[in-house]
Amino acid sequence: MLGINARLARPKWLALLPSPSLRTREAIAAYLFLTPFLIFFSIFFLRAVVKAVDFSFYDWRLLRRTIPYIGFDNYRELLDDEIWWIALRNTVQFAAMTVAGTTIVALAAAIAVTQPIRGQGFFRVLLYMPSLFSVGAVGLIWVWLLSTQFGVINYGLSFFGIHPINWLGDPDLVLPALSLTTIWWGFGFPMLIFIAGLQGIPDHLFEAAKIDGANGWQIFSHITVPLLRPTILFVTVTGVIAQFQAFGQPYIITNGGPGRASYTVIYYLYQMAWVAFRMGYGAAVAVTIAIIIAAITAVQFVLIGRRVEY
Amino acid sequence: MNFIRRSSFYKHFGVYVFLIVLSAFVLFPMLIALSQSFMTNQEVNRWPPKIVPTEPTLDSYDTVLTQQDLRLDLWLRNSLFAATGYTVAVMVLCAPAAYAFARLRFPGNRILFALLLATIMVPGQVTLIPNFLLMRDLDWLDTFNALIFPGAANVFGVFLLRQFFMQIPKELEEAAVLDGASYFGRFRHVILPLSANALTALGIFVFLFHYNDLFWPIIVTSSLETRTLPVGLSILNQSYAGQYRPMILAGATLSTIPILIVYIIFQRRIIKGVTMTGMAGR
Repeated sequence: MLGINARLARPKWLALLPSPSLRTREAIAAYLFLTPFLIFFSIFFLRAVVKAVDFSFYDWRLLRRTIPYIGFDNYRELLDDEIWWIALRNTVQFAAMTVAGTTIVALAAAIAVTQPIRGQGFFRVLLYMPSLFSVGAVGLIWVWLLSTQFGVINYGLSFFGIHPINWLGDPDLVLPALSLTTIWWGFGFPMLIFIAGLQGIPDHLFEAAKIDGANGWQIFSHITVPLLRPTILFVTVTGVIAQFQAFGQPYIITNGGPGRASYTVIYYLYQMAWVAFRMGYGAAVAVTIAIIIAAITAVQFVLIGRRVEY
Repeated sequence: MNFIRRSSFYKHFGVYVFLIVLSAFVLFPMLIALSQSFMTNQEVNRWPPKIVPTEPTLDSYDTVLTQQDLRLDLWLRNSLFAATGYTVAVMVLCAPAAYAFARLRFPGNRILFALLLATIMVPGQVTLIPNFLLMRDLDWLDTFNALIFPGAANVFGVFLLRQFFMQIPKELEEAAVLDGASYFGRFRHVILPLSANALTALGIFVFLFHYNDLFWPIIVTSSLETRTLPVGLSILNQSYAGQYRPMILAGATLSTIPILIVYIIFQRRIIKGVTMTGMAGR
């Protein structure tokens, strides 16, 4: 008891004020705990979001003195900009291919390493390895693998009588090539999520199915997939959001080319704001991208709201 | 016993085949890059491509480490320093906030937390231009401040830690209250030590995220001395693409070695940490 009294002792200069109740003290402590976070959050997030919307109504170019207000003109220009639509179409295609590929590879890998086999841990560690690489290293490695003249991939295909393919120079092939690179790089994380999801499915369900004589495919399609539905949904939707923000692959591997065949929306944002120095227009691009991604996230919340009962 | 194991091997034969094929897909690009980094330029630019160097040489490593316009060792140190600083900043900001949300009663607790969570819907790209201009006005461009502080108030970090703090039994804190511990004392001496796993998991996650980030470091750094490794690699690729392939592959190899060493030592922890963080987001 003595200890509490000692702790609760208030400085003398406060003695004239009424003693705050325990509840008030708790609230004051809580706000003190929150203050550092909220200060940073307000400056670098809230303020920035408000400013971004504000900037998008100005024709702000870094190298020009005047900053005229132009209303919705940036957005009108965006809707009329052919390159924006190319970038958006590329991004949707890239995200769709990458997420589909990643989900399939990750789920297959997760099922394989959760079988009662030797070397489970070893395979997990190995398969997750590329996810640790920076997009810089991934890009440098794959540019060369995909090279038309000296690339090992074309060499491998030559054994099947396939002539050298210009992966990064053909507008129709560049997105699939970047997508393959990204699947290699990124399937490890969804694999770990799937492993955790698979371990959450009670064993007795698999055993019951086996006793009833179900084969591997039946177990997969009638037990694994339905019960993993929330996990699959989580992986695909967060995957789409992540791939929608792809930047490093076009920046490092293709410079958006050939032509504009591998422009993504974030690469377009980079070009507008930091190559052309058009901050106002860039802000309009960023706000538009944010709205699209927020819409995808909202869909995720609606879909994932439905939980699965075992 | 032996018989049972062997029969299980045959039963899972298909699984092994699949895993070996997948492992080859994962390993092959890394091994090719490693192997070709020991070749000479002539040997790489050859058809059919060579998989194993006839006369392995360290020339390309020597070149990549001694070029005037390349500072791989410095960039690596910058990356480690900035990612560590960022991770510490995230912890210092998020853990106390998470404690307040998880354990303390105050007016607006629920509403404030719900509002914070709702902001996860707003993707970070929208903050890039205003934060870039803020860095310019603060004179923070081309400094570590710009790499460390802008993303440090991480809502996901608060969310994750709050989940873990809420699972710690209240009785443990009550014992500390009887001993006269202040709110900070309870947080520091009861909650934090019991959350070592969660803090490590979050730490690994945000460290890796920051270490591999490319966009923000490209726009806020400009001199050779403040570049981070991913930006440095893109510079290496742009400056020497085409002519000096083994050198570029040597750079890629060198850049991945530190993180692979850490990964091999702490593999279990890292895999567990990443899984834990990922699952919490679900």
